[in-house]
Amino acid sequence: MNPEPPINPPVRHAAWKIWANPIFRRYCQSRLRPQGLGLALLITVIIAGFIVAMGSSLGVRGTMTTADAARNGIIPLLFVQGIILFILGTAQIAGGMTAERDEGVIDYQRLIPMSPHAKVMGYLFGLPVREYAMFLATLPFTAWSMWRGQVAWNVWLPLYLIVMFSALLYHFTGLLTGTVARNRRWAFLLSIGLVFALYTIIPQMAKFGLVFFKYLTISPVFEESLPGILPSSAGAVARAAQRLLPTVKFFNLDFSESVFTVFSQGGLILTFIVMLCRKWRRAEAHLLGKPWAAGFFVWIQILLLGNALPLIGPGDLFPSHGLYRMVRVMPDWAPTRDEAVLLSGIYGFVTLALMLVLATIITPTADNQLRGWRRARKQGVSTLPHLADAATGFWFVLVMAVAGAVGWFLFTRALVESSWFPGHQVPLTVLGYFTAVMVAAGLGYQTLLESKGGHAVSLAIIFVGVVPVLVGSVLSVISDRFAPTATWLIGMSPASMPFYASGSLLSIAELPTQVSRAMPRAFTFWLLVFLLVTAWLAAKLLAKRKAMAHHMLAIPQVGPVTQDPP
Amino acid sequence: MITSSLSESRAPAIDIRCLRVDYGDFMAVDDLTLAVPAGEVFGLVGPNGAGKTSTFRILTTLMEPTYGEVVIDGVDVLENMEDARRIIGYMPDLAPVPSDLKVWEFLDFHADAYGLGNRQQRRQRAAECLEEVALTGQRDCWCKELSRGQTQRVVLAKTLLHRPRVLILDEPASGLDPLARRDLRHALRKLADAGNTVFISSHILSELAEMCSSLCVMNRGRLLASGTVDQVRHQLGSTDRVLTATVLARQQEAAEWLACQPAVHDLRLADHKVVFGFTGTDDAQADLLDGLIRHGIRLRAFEEKRSSFEDILVEVAESNRHP
Repeated sequence: MNPEPPINPPVRHAAWKIWANPIFRRYCQSRLRPQGLGLALLITVIIAGFIVAMGSSLGVRGTMTTADAARNGIIPLLFVQGIILFILGTAQIAGGMTAERDEGVIDYQRLIPMSPHAKVMGYLFGLPVREYAMFLATLPFTAWSMWRGQVAWNVWLPLYLIVMFSALLYHFTGLLTGTVARNRRWAFLLSIGLVFALYTIIPQMAKFGLVFFKYLTISPVFEESLPGILPSSAGAVARAAQRLLPTVKFFNLDFSESVFTVFSQGGLILTFIVMLCRKWRRAEAHLLGKPWAAGFFVWIQILLLGNALPLIGPGDLFPSHGLYRMVRVMPDWAPTRDEAVLLSGIYGFVTLALMLVLATIITPTADNQLRGWRRARKQGVSTLPHLADAATGFWFVLVMAVAGAVGWFLFTRALVESSWFPGHQVPLTVLGYFTAVMVAAGLGYQTLLESKGGHAVSLAIIFVGVVPVLVGSVLSVISDRFAPTATWLIGMSPASMPFYASGSLLSIAELPTQVSRAMPRAFTFWLLVFLLVTAWLAAKLLAKRKAMAHHMLAIPQVGPVTQDPP
Repeated sequence: MITSSLSESRAPAIDIRCLRVDYGDFMAVDDLTLAVPAGEVFGLVGPNGAGKTSTFRILTTLMEPTYGEVVIDGVDVLENMEDARRIIGYMPDLAPVPSDLKVWEFLDFHADAYGLGNRQQRRQRAAECLEEVALTGQRDCWCKELSRGQTQRVVLAKTLLHRPRVLILDEPASGLDPLARRDLRHALRKLADAGNTVFISSHILSELAEMCSSLCVMNRGRLLASGTVDQVRHQLGSTDRVLTATVLARQQEAAEWLACQPAVHDLRLADHKVVFGFTGTDDAQADLLDGLIRHGIRLRAFEEKRSSFEDILVEVAESNRHP
């Protein structure tokens, strides 16, 4: 039609050429304007200068050597740098992405001929570019403190590498939140909440056997570096305290804290990149493809097991051992049976929770399925590709359920058959029960979501997942007489199934007399009920998908569309 | 199903077949088949919720339809998104601009993203586009400080940067003053004359009638009519008009004769005039006038007033509200 060829041939902006990335340059232009940047740098330099000057002066006035005095400012500086990169940077990314959508300019960015990777990199480094400048402004003060404090390079280098790596992880979290969240305020709060959770709540799970989660923060590397960056007297205390902490082990391999942190965070960063690229490629796409979601689930299982199993023998896995190390109130420490049962239940619960999150990601909505069938019809095939977003998530959730059950079983067996509980065995039938729990809860959730949609799932979570636990808890507190009833009620919630499974099936379990009969019965009964409901939902889902396929494939194919202009 | 049948001799620049868009249970676009000829300024009109924006978002690869086919300038949009994006220039509804950039920075960013040469070449192209939309003087202004009309023009300049062959403009004239609308009309005409295709939407029919060579009307996701302005009026059944016959004498007799004629309604007398509604064709109207004269009525004047496009839109919108 147009005799002139288009002026714009295909453009390729390499993702790694950050300095040439138009999105990065656009944010350099807007966020590094002298007025805004100058003020930010001034405040940063004043704070950093004050910290270093004050720390050094206090040290010199006391009895510290010059080197020790210079070290005084290192940790406060690190704290300021953490606030700049982790908090401000993450919030800026999440808020900036949502602002793009609020203003409506994100559609322009979708249409510009850049690869999804280049767009992700542009936003990742562009949005927080002022925060990076502020961070750079603190570095001369850090460098001076390190130099005067005679901090060895093998102490500060891994620490700052992990600071940067963690910043990337949190920035990716913010980018993903900003891309997915619909509202600017929500994106900001969600990203800050996630960073807060990553630092405070999630590492606590390490105390309950899920050691891997500790490595999503800089804490392990920071603790490892402490003796080298604190003044010598405090460093000696830190070194002594460090000897009490277990070293990082992954199965039988020994890693340094920094290497393992990079390994753990790297996997998550890679997953975030995949999610973001999928969203940039097609706005309606799932955050993760089905194989990637299943692979990610298995990878997390391997990390959880790899970290936890080596800690069972020395007792470092048990929460009471951590307490014992600190206060040494008991002369001969040994884990309790309840502790082991609880750890097994927590492992099953976290595995189940992760599986449900991934199931939500890979389960297609009715619109997704219709679009998939449209494509199938266009391509002249009568089935959907198994890996397509529109294909059912059923089989992949089944794979995850089995993998999760195996991981849970291996963890439980290592725990129960350890030297701490001689004579106890975990028979293979337990694996069957664990699989049944994962299948009933995981597939029940997935089939309900795929066949009935998100609204039905929300109602099910409230009335089957949460309310029975709350009512049962209240009943159990009112009187011991209600304990069996409460046990039956709480058992109705799929969230309680992993705990009930561990409590009912493991020989080390010592249930209180009030629930010793009710819990195994409630567990078996509800497990059976959930399995039946899941089977029914699966049958309904199959029928629904068949009907949809029949309807879509029956629509007459439109005539050939014009492909080439004359 | 009504399908467009415009300029069959030319290959369509935009070819939409059986397009359907669902949002859950709500059907936004229902079985839309439409061909937009190359080199036309083609309008898409309909009340709010007619499915215009959904259609445009699919044409611009921003959304996937439930089913249907879309080919733009020979490129299957649903299969070759990247190729399609290089051909298309899209100006969304409300023409958003970033609040933290100046006009030249906004254009330079897009020129950079489209790979339009080095810094000097990019700035030259941005200057050309600003000149095309008569906004050269605002080059150094902040985007957020522009008036609504100026913002529309900046976004149009951005849309023109990479010389797209097909321009898809969602409500481009909303908020523009008459002078700016005239400039926009000239700019679009110039683009069409250069062989580009302009697909433009609005809910203001008169605005589209001024700008477009052809148009189509959508309501509740369905295509109601398409063609030239007169063809659309005819397809929508909007043949109703008010006729006024000014007579020298025998007013009562003229009224009695007219009342007996088919397609005449709502007849009333005023001064020397007989005012009545008429729903017949143009031929029938000519026959009516002829009959009146043959009947011996001496006419001083005969005046016709058709329903405006706005009236038609109100009718369409009303049917949208009360299906």
